[in-house]
Amino acid sequence: MSTATHCPYCALQCAMSLAPASAGAGGAAVPGGALPAPVGTTPAPLDVDGRDFPTNRGGLCRKGWTSAELLRHPDRVTEPLLRGEDGHFRPVSWEQALERVAHEVRAAQASHGADAVGVFGGGGLTNEKAYLLGKFARLALRTSRIDYNGRFCMSSAAAAGNRAFGIDRGLPFPVEDLDTADTILLLGSNVAETMPPFVAHLAGAREAGGLVVVDPRRSTTAALTADGAGIHLAPAPHTDLILLLGLAHVVINDGLLDHDYVAERTEGLESLIRSVAPWWPERVQAATGVPAVLVRETAARLARSARTGSCYILTGRGIEQHADGTDTVTAAINLALLLGLPGSERGGYGTLTGQGNGQGGREHGQKSDQLPGYRKITDPAARDHVARVWGVPAESIPGPGLPAVELLASLGKDGGVRCLFVHGANVVVSAPDVSAVREGLRALDFLVVCDFFMSETAREADLVLPVLQWAEEEGTMTNLEGRVLRRRRAIEPPAGSRSELWIMNRLAELLEAPSDFPDDPRAVFEELRAASAGGLADYSGVTYERLDAGEALHWPCPEGSDGTPRLFADRFAHPDGRARLVAVRASSPLPGAGPEAGAFQLATGRLLEHYQSGAQTRRVEALSAAQPEVRLSLHPAPAARLGITDGAWVRVRRQPATAAAGGARQGTQPEPVVLARAELTADIRPDTVFLPFHFPGLAAANQVTEQRTDPISGMPEFKTPRVFVEPAVVDPGIDEPTLDRLLPPGTLVPAPREERP
Amino acid sequence: MTATTPQPAAASSAARAESPRRVVVVGFGPVAARFVDELRPAAAAGAVELTVVGEEEHAAYNRVLVADLGVGRTSLAAMSLADADELAADGVRVITGRRVARIDRSRRRVLLSDATALPYDRVVLATGARAVVPNLTGLNPDPFHPVLPEGVTAMRDVSDAARLAEAVRGRRHVVVLGGGVLGLEAALAASEEGATVTVVHHGDRPLGRSIDRIGGGSLSAALRRQGVRVAGNARSTGIETGPDGAFRALLLEDGSAIDGDLLLLACGARPRRELAEGGGLAVDAGIIVDHSLRALHTEHVFAIGDCAQVRCADPVCAECTADGRGGAPSGLIAPGWRQADWLAAQFRHDLLGEPRPAPLAPEKPGVILLKARGVNLALAGNVAVEPWDMDPLEDSCSPAPLRVAVWTDPEHGAYVKMATRGGVLEGFVALGMPRAAAELTLLFESGGELPADRSVILRLDGPEAALGGVSGASAGPDAILCRCAGVTHGQVADSVAGGCSTVQEVSKATRAGTGCGGCRDEVRELIERHFASVAA
Repeated sequence: MSTATHCPYCALQCAMSLAPASAGAGGAAVPGGALPAPVGTTPAPLDVDGRDFPTNRGGLCRKGWTSAELLRHPDRVTEPLLRGEDGHFRPVSWEQALERVAHEVRAAQASHGADAVGVFGGGGLTNEKAYLLGKFARLALRTSRIDYNGRFCMSSAAAAGNRAFGIDRGLPFPVEDLDTADTILLLGSNVAETMPPFVAHLAGAREAGGLVVVDPRRSTTAALTADGAGIHLAPAPHTDLILLLGLAHVVINDGLLDHDYVAERTEGLESLIRSVAPWWPERVQAATGVPAVLVRETAARLARSARTGSCYILTGRGIEQHADGTDTVTAAINLALLLGLPGSERGGYGTLTGQGNGQGGREHGQKSDQLPGYRKITDPAARDHVARVWGVPAESIPGPGLPAVELLASLGKDGGVRCLFVHGANVVVSAPDVSAVREGLRALDFLVVCDFFMSETAREADLVLPVLQWAEEEGTMTNLEGRVLRRRRAIEPPAGSRSELWIMNRLAELLEAPSDFPDDPRAVFEELRAASAGGLADYSGVTYERLDAGEALHWPCPEGSDGTPRLFADRFAHPDGRARLVAVRASSPLPGAGPEAGAFQLATGRLLEHYQSGAQTRRVEALSAAQPEVRLSLHPAPAARLGITDGAWVRVRRQPATAAAGGARQGTQPEPVVLARAELTADIRPDTVFLPFHFPGLAAANQVTEQRTDPISGMPEFKTPRVFVEPAVVDPGIDEPTLDRLLPPGTLVPAPREERP
Repeated sequence: MTATTPQPAAASSAARAESPRRVVVVGFGPVAARFVDELRPAAAAGAVELTVVGEEEHAAYNRVLVADLGVGRTSLAAMSLADADELAADGVRVITGRRVARIDRSRRRVLLSDATALPYDRVVLATGARAVVPNLTGLNPDPFHPVLPEGVTAMRDVSDAARLAEAVRGRRHVVVLGGGVLGLEAALAASEEGATVTVVHHGDRPLGRSIDRIGGGSLSAALRRQGVRVAGNARSTGIETGPDGAFRALLLEDGSAIDGDLLLLACGARPRRELAEGGGLAVDAGIIVDHSLRALHTEHVFAIGDCAQVRCADPVCAECTADGRGGAPSGLIAPGWRQADWLAAQFRHDLLGEPRPAPLAPEKPGVILLKARGVNLALAGNVAVEPWDMDPLEDSCSPAPLRVAVWTDPEHGAYVKMATRGGVLEGFVALGMPRAAAELTLLFESGGELPADRSVILRLDGPEAALGGVSGASAGPDAILCRCAGVTHGQVADSVAGGCSTVQEVSKATRAGTGCGGCRDEVRELIERHFASVAA
């Protein structure tokens, strides 16, 4: 007896089955059963197995295989914890906890207005939770201040997709379509680490010698281009946009344009031509470090495949998490349109969604400017429709709020948020400039965190509400293809944990909210169907029954339809049906003056073994043993210059040591730094360093990232243009495992630890 | 144009901060187009009446690609940098196909050849440069009114491109006079597209002083390998024309002649400064401007791009002498575009109150990248120095001597020279090594420090590093075989020893191969090796 569900982690949502744990280590029926038994101390209550499905074809990565170990993990929070005046957490009853929340909400709003209460959601929440959270914020909390961590993830691609196509669905085609491609241009995505089973879909392109990976690192994915499988282009960081303008330049000038497609299906060619005219390959070479010959070769390869085979362009966070992320994705889309790909049978453009429900989570009202069904909150018709479904007057729905970085920057400030709810996010690890975020959380009057572990953010809370894990709940997720999937319960949750739907239901009642807040996922989904009907992301034709019957339903799926696996076959979502070629410009590529000695570009990213802030995967022994600490990838040449050896401790900072010392003397804030071990590798450009962002405290890469954001999408600049690296002397008396929990010396005193009987 | 009648300048001419309501741009090439584009927001906001006057019928196009147009590799539409209708929609007045006759500075008017007068508060000269017509018998030496015989062309504008196009289409013989960048690019493009091409240059190597001796020799060899004939150390004296008056041969000093159907003049360009000169402005190689791009001793006149020479009134200004050319235009497009961006930002500051731009950084010597398909060449800065040369600065005050590293492989057409001071490039040549060339370009532009081990740069063009590098045969039992599932070689070997005989069985037993699937071949190999050894 096993339960068919999907993996708790990334947007590939690999299908898995969960069965009650067998007595042995599993796999006993197979000869040579050498299943690497989890080394951990936590026995998994369920056996995990891969399940055949188009996205993962039965495969799973290490994260998925070990996911059940977290279900009964000793760190699990299983009762509400309230911080006392002495700073220590103590268990309280659910009744006490919820009364307290209601009291704090009323108090904050009485003295500071409705927008003094804020909500920070997550792209890992089910559609039901994401939907109800948006409704809860607007009707029960009556606040406009809601946004979510998807702002750090998909916002640039979403903005660019909306601008070009009038709609934003990560992959507008099923992932298996990639199998037939003979060329795939993959920009800023390290799928071999982030979603390993996806790599199988690159096999066709690799066989054809057509996997083109754009990454300043020779990442695991870039290395897949070796042995004639493709080309690795390693532009200097922050020059992806120029590279894309250069590819478009070659397509236009070398007559590789799909004239009929562009004439019939797009607008804006003339101004696009003018915008790429200045980027001939040699000028691109000067700015990016990518040889002109490879720019030409890549463009020719793409065009050849687009004409005679099949060609896809895919983007990831590497090119999106920038202050010009929207424009960079736009340039990738423009290239795809010039080649006649989107909506054709010869290829397409897509972005690889990151978080488990990063797609569904951005469609149903967690975004500050959105209502369910991917509706605009400023659109009167959209407001009327949603108000009707909710049974409230349209004017009672607040207007647009603040995007994530601004929302977090407002914490505790005048006119800002005083009382914050955090759901499915670990902002003191994952947001840019985490020291400032931590300061903001500490300046709040009240912080409620819903989590099942004491994440670094939960440690900052006044109240922690224990919620369910994936295998304990029912619901739906929307994967990177826009396909709606069922998540199913395989095990009873701990007695003291509650679903977030239940929490919202109870709180809505205490806060005397209008409308209904069902705590049954199916009932919530029924309401979501109605609320999304007629919107861009229309789920009205999706039902639990259809999903349970195994139907593959991709949105838009209006009532009575079978969904839309492939978008854009006939038209794009703009009123005139045409896609927009939007001319974008690179900001001054050559600053003229050289950087200071010792400055590097910092790229941040992921490791195979960890997911997001690591709050879950760092607790799985096998994963944590494989990647126990943050390591800074550094080229041996600059390392030699800096006197840094492999494995040595280094400090990463925003300013050179001398400037920092001066600042510290006068300034009030100590400078945020990252403490990491150096990992010397020739797989990175000598001018670039890389940090994974899965680690907390001093090991958090986001200590040195900035709050600067994309003006269109609100995406933060996660790839800091300039950091300094220096050898660090670490007191040998400090035991290393605790190092990463240390905070910058001086002001940032660690929060008192939870102490439980 | 629907703009209101221009108001007479009310403010006194001494008031620098006066709002420049009327801006006239003279010239409509790439640099002018960039400037106009950057000033469009101000025009659209009604803060400025912007007029641009171009002599050619076409709106601005990318001159850098003229040779490509000439050999039929691109189209004029694809080279477009501006659209007159779009500009007009933003209130910009675009006048094409008309010459500016003179600038009447006392009355602040620009006078067109048809006597139209355009009053201005500020005038921006972006007149660019014109091809040098060498002093050869048979060619009209008047630089302002070059009337070239049939079969002789420069390579600067669309009509030049049309002449080259005809020769290339007819697979005729093109003689390129001049071994500079433009000449080599045109020669390679024409040759690749089917023409017979001879490059004639004086000196012992093409690119003359820009390249070193070995680099130049390697370049000549590379050109020949591409099918371009190269006639070095050649001094030309005149042209021979046929009875129809068309070019037939280039005559050399030694009495020989090089026959051809088209003579392409690539002898450099000279700033078009005669308008400025006529207006009484200070000129040298170009129109002299100060660091804010204002013509010397003027209030209202600016110059940008190929016609402008940045040399301020301070005779000992370090910035003005830094480039070694006295601020004379480099002929490269990037500095002109930077000037256009900066000046437009300055104007937007004056007009719209936008932040004042940071001072324009002095130009460093530019990187020369040969725009060609068959030959990959990048070079910049001081490349004359050789590995064992004495650095003239070494003995005096310079703490870091100039160091030179060289790699040369004539057989495969590869040559790299890196001249560094304190690890930072002062010059480089990279021929036939595209990835090294790209990296060195970037390092030269950014001023970044080279790896102490210079061979890191050379190895960029080597074979790609093997993924993983560890094959099943040599890996220890604890080495990871499947990264996705974290399975070691030992675990897989144990499962095979325990009876797993297919990849599927090993996957089922160990999870190896269940992620990306990249290790399945290796698992298969292990199985085969196991059973081979059992059988043996």
